[in-house]
Amino acid sequence: MQKTDFRHDILPLKDKLFRLALRITLNRAEAEDVVQDTMIRVWDRRDDWHEMDSVEAYCLTVCRNLAIDRSQLKEAQNETLSEAEANQPDASDPYALCVRNEQMELIHRLINGLPEKQRSIIQLRDIEGKSYKEIADILRVSEEQVKVNLFRARQKIKQQYTEINDYGL
Amino acid sequence: MDYKYIEQLLERYWACDTSVEEEQILRAFFRQKEIPAHLLPYKNLFAYEDAAQEVTLGKDFDERILSQVERHTVKVQRISLRRRMMPLFKAAAVVAVIVTLGTVTQRSFRANRQADYNYDAYKDTYTDPQSAYGTVSEALQIVSESFRKSQVHDSDSVSAPLKTTGQ
Repeated sequence: MQKTDFRHDILPLKDKLFRLALRITLNRAEAEDVVQDTMIRVWDRRDDWHEMDSVEAYCLTVCRNLAIDRSQLKEAQNETLSEAEANQPDASDPYALCVRNEQMELIHRLINGLPEKQRSIIQLRDIEGKSYKEIADILRVSEEQVKVNLFRARQKIKQQYTEINDYGL
Repeated sequence: MDYKYIEQLLERYWACDTSVEEEQILRAFFRQKEIPAHLLPYKNLFAYEDAAQEVTLGKDFDERILSQVERHTVKVQRISLRRRMMPLFKAAAVVAVIVTLGTVTQRSFRANRQADYNYDAYKDTYTDPQSAYGTVSEALQIVSESFRKSQVHDSDSVSAPLKTTGQ
């Protein structure tokens, strides 16, 4: 296997990691911290890089775990939706920049409303274009599980999306 | 235009039977401007997925990470023997140039100061032949004395005293 170089092989993954972390934590600052922690953790294990099948999958796994830890920690701190947050849920969200219209924002909210696992799978599959096998490796679950979760996620989005569009709910 | 294929793909997409490549086709299709009305609602779904790929970190992130990560590392560079010897070569070359220049200039100075052996140009320094003879023989005696001394030193043999010449 080719030698893995941090600068050329791992650092460029930052955006992918960031998007996944953001999808899980739903907070830009948190996601950035997660990516930073991920990078440092991966760096600390640099002696094992050559033993890994895919450093990218490893990075994504670490990133997801850290992101989940963080969001759980935040939930434990019990920051329930305060009045202010409820009024402007996505104000600090970078997605707000690329969400060009109401519809986009709606989809954004629908996806982010899914359970974490489905959210991560949608992110990896539909946005990063990963195969079922890669996703299964990253999430450390079976391919079957990935498919089931993706199916539920897509169905739910489709259903909610069409409902809202059809009835203006 | 026939949209059967796309509709079929879309059906399979919802059933999660599409491959990554087929999903790329769908995404490419929905990137077009002209989309039939019955498929239009899904355009935004795919457009969102495209847009979500654009989300990136700031540029300063790289530097921050690298400064944290490379803080404790020493850069290792393989240096060949040739490259390692390069400074020595350079030093040697500089020394050689200086020595050559020095020799050349010294030689050119010496050439100007070459001893003149033209005996015709010599002038008498003594008017009285007797005193001149005395001075010369005295000088020769000094020479022979030191000559003898050095020879005794060289051979370490005192047993065969040399005859002094020039007396």
